[in-house]
Amino acid sequence: MKLKEFTKGIIRQNPVLVLVIGLCPTLAITTRVENAIGMAAALAFVLISSNLLISAMRNFIPREVRIPAYIVVIASFVTTIEFIIHGSSPAIYQQLGIFLPLITVNCIVLGRAEAFASKRPMKDTLLDTAGMSVGFAVIIFAISAIREFFGTGHIVIFGQEVVPKILASPAGGMILPAGAFLTMGALLAILKRLKVL
Amino acid sequence: MKLGVHARSIIVLTVICLVWGGLLAAVHDFTRESIERAENAEINAALSIIFPGGQFTSENGYYGCTENGALVGYAIISKGKGYGGEMKVIVGVGLDNRVAGVYVLSHSETTGIGSRATENAFLGQFTGKTLDNLQLKKNGGEIDAVTGATISSNAVTNAVHDGIQILIEGIGGT
Repeated sequence: MKLKEFTKGIIRQNPVLVLVIGLCPTLAITTRVENAIGMAAALAFVLISSNLLISAMRNFIPREVRIPAYIVVIASFVTTIEFIIHGSSPAIYQQLGIFLPLITVNCIVLGRAEAFASKRPMKDTLLDTAGMSVGFAVIIFAISAIREFFGTGHIVIFGQEVVPKILASPAGGMILPAGAFLTMGALLAILKRLKVL
Repeated sequence: MKLGVHARSIIVLTVICLVWGGLLAAVHDFTRESIERAENAEINAALSIIFPGGQFTSENGYYGCTENGALVGYAIISKGKGYGGEMKVIVGVGLDNRVAGVYVLSHSETTGIGSRATENAFLGQFTGKTLDNLQLKKNGGEIDAVTGATISSNAVTNAVHDGIQILIEGIGGT
């Protein structure tokens, strides 16, 4: 087992902070921790399942039509998870909105398919995509927790108040788009300073 | 042979599209029931907030509400254009042509700003109002806009106004 195929996605090649891909959902849906959990789960499902399939079919898909073939596979998994979330959790479906179908063109999914899954066996692909999913989940969880706490004063996950209302006058700007850039920039700067990245 | 390469590409892509199209159709069939159930449950929950303890029947595009067999009002799903996109509102009207209640089904307004126009503190104002008063105060009505969220407030108010108008005119002065 090449464990580094798994661990590289978490820190050294973190999709959001190092490869800087998949920024659209990262910045847009991190207004609440609840959304981040939903998005991370949806992306992990699509990323792992579609890349495993692409890896399995890598010797069968002609080079000339590989991108359309990948997109068909990815879009199918996205539509599947969309149906499932819509049926099981309408509230999260509502919150994720357009960013759920947009996973189809998420750079993390297509990027890993092109750079990794199309050249490697399924075992390596599983480790790679699982690591990328964890890396993505950790970062959007951190960004959404910071934004929800400073923007609304407390953190509520699925109706449970996880962090009580400590801030009396929250900074509403943190849940606006600018707050997303500020949080991500600050996070990147701190991690660089601490030489984590 | 050049043609051979192209033919292979076309065949492979066609096969992939066909297989995945078929699988998706199966998934759609499999999840359709739970999606419909989730949507109906949401509408029913909203109706129960507007008419507590009522029974609901769906008729051409609107909902009739009865309590203990007697008709008490109607409700309709109405839409308004908010800051972040469409806002879907369900409005109820009593037999006296006054607003019975308002509930926001879906919206894409900014959390903590526009989203305050979907909370009870704002929506509660509509209850008991008549069609003529369903405008923001600055437009000559009786509804106080949420500070900093005039567009969202206006979208909800317009949706309520349109919905009530359709209900009153369409059902012929209930």
